[in-house]
Amino acid sequence: MFKKWRFKNLWLFLPVFVGLAMFILVQIFIPIVSPIIFKIDLGIAGFVFGVTIRNTGIVACIFGFTLTAIVLLIRRWDSRHVSEAQSLYADYVQAAEQKRRQFLRRLDHEIKNPLTGLRAALVNLQEAQATEERLQAGQNAGRAVERLTRLLTDLRKLADLDERPIERYSVNVPELLDDVVEAARAIPAYEGRNISLLIPKIPSPFPMITGDRDLLVLAVYNLVENALKFTSANDSVEVRALEDGRSIVIEVADSGAGIPAEDLSKIFEELYRGSNARSTEGSGLGLALVNRIAVLHGGGVGVRSSQSEPRGTVITLRLPRR
Amino acid sequence: MSLDRSTLLLADDDPTIADSLAPFLERAGFHVLVVSDGMTALEKAQAHHPELIILDVLMPRMDGRETLRRLRKSNIWTPTILLTQVGEASERALALEEGADDYLNKPFDPHELLARIRAVLRRARPGERSLSMAWLLTANELSLDRRARRATLSGETLELTPKAFSVLEYLMTHPDEAISRERLLDAVWGWEYPAGTRTVDTRMAELRRALDDDPAAPRFIETIPSEGYRFIAPVHGEG
Repeated sequence: MFKKWRFKNLWLFLPVFVGLAMFILVQIFIPIVSPIIFKIDLGIAGFVFGVTIRNTGIVACIFGFTLTAIVLLIRRWDSRHVSEAQSLYADYVQAAEQKRRQFLRRLDHEIKNPLTGLRAALVNLQEAQATEERLQAGQNAGRAVERLTRLLTDLRKLADLDERPIERYSVNVPELLDDVVEAARAIPAYEGRNISLLIPKIPSPFPMITGDRDLLVLAVYNLVENALKFTSANDSVEVRALEDGRSIVIEVADSGAGIPAEDLSKIFEELYRGSNARSTEGSGLGLALVNRIAVLHGGGVGVRSSQSEPRGTVITLRLPRR
Repeated sequence: MSLDRSTLLLADDDPTIADSLAPFLERAGFHVLVVSDGMTALEKAQAHHPELIILDVLMPRMDGRETLRRLRKSNIWTPTILLTQVGEASERALALEEGADDYLNKPFDPHELLARIRAVLRRARPGERSLSMAWLLTANELSLDRRARRATLSGETLELTPKAFSVLEYLMTHPDEAISRERLLDAVWGWEYPAGTRTVDTRMAELRRALDDDPAAPRFIETIPSEGYRFIAPVHGEG
């Protein structure tokens, strides 16, 4: 402990050592050069205490002490900032590593399920005698492959978003939303579902945004598909566009069961599955893609949801106005 | 060209893929030679003169790209389909630049591979370079400079978004072929999604406006109802 203290605090004595060294040097050399008398008033100190230092050695000692102390203080201040930055960087690396591990754990889980289904289906294909059973096994294998393909496709989309630049052209928002709603209405599994599109009449025409139309279609489509997935035939889904002078806000609202409060901050994470989403089919990357696309456009995403009356979920995609 | 018992050379180092694809293609009427690395593929291609070569990109000893480059360097213009890897957006463009006649992203449906094989064999001109290797494509008054990424119509430069240019490029390198929206999505966008087919239609509308092409009486792009699109003008390649 003493050793540790000694080495760590030795620098505190450095100004004293330098001051003494300068005093000795001046004492040795000044008499040789000339008997110059140095006369320096120490400003306020001299005025208050009436002290006039006439010894060159003491002046040199004070000068050496002060200068060394200032240099040491600056170095210490600087190193404290460097160590703060290092500590922040270490935290960032640790968080990134934790995020990577969490992603791999979730990916492992997402792959294992369809893979187990596929293995079971293949065993049935090899062992079952009845044609009907073999057909069923073939269908099950096909479904598992579809799930894996969907996961892989979404992973590829995420990787592509990080790699390639996005297009930046004028995008007509009402037209884009109309395309998405039409495409969602055409999904066989959600045939006859109530999807409304609400576009304000004023301002007219609705302000344009600059961005990659294909990616924005993908983002809004994911939101609408997600809303349909978590609602029943009696619920409603609304796609709304608003503008607040600075941003265009696209909202996808549904009257479904809502998202538990503890899941709200995590739903845009990659492969995160909320407690009420585990049994629902999907890659677990849909909302993460929406978030990434929003950020690439200089915007962001948000969510508000309630499980008690009035219940429902509203996910917002905020994009800068052109 | 008769497609019966055409010889295909399939090069893939993954036995689960090669062992499943080979019998599938045999059942479809082809004679299939299977190899597991690029070097052997090169030797077999020179010795057996197959009608078509299917090359996986990642293979031991010599990868699919290098194999293709060496084939083209030795003036072997056998039609080739590259099986590209997931996640590499630049790979699709590179595949065509390096002389592949078509490419397919893994994972793919074997039926899609079969359709591509048939289409490539149909448009192949034995011993000739394919359109996918040409730098300048012309169809009547339309010309497409693939190096400069510029399209002109009667000498006037067309204002096209990069995606619309890529769609036109893909259609012109596959003339007279019915191309589904899903295939265009996979080839140009690199990934497909349900609303994507509308995305293709939006780009097609942009292209038609730029080309001044009337869908009711098309000069360049024809719509095939409930299927996709076809580039109908004759295409010539240079360079």
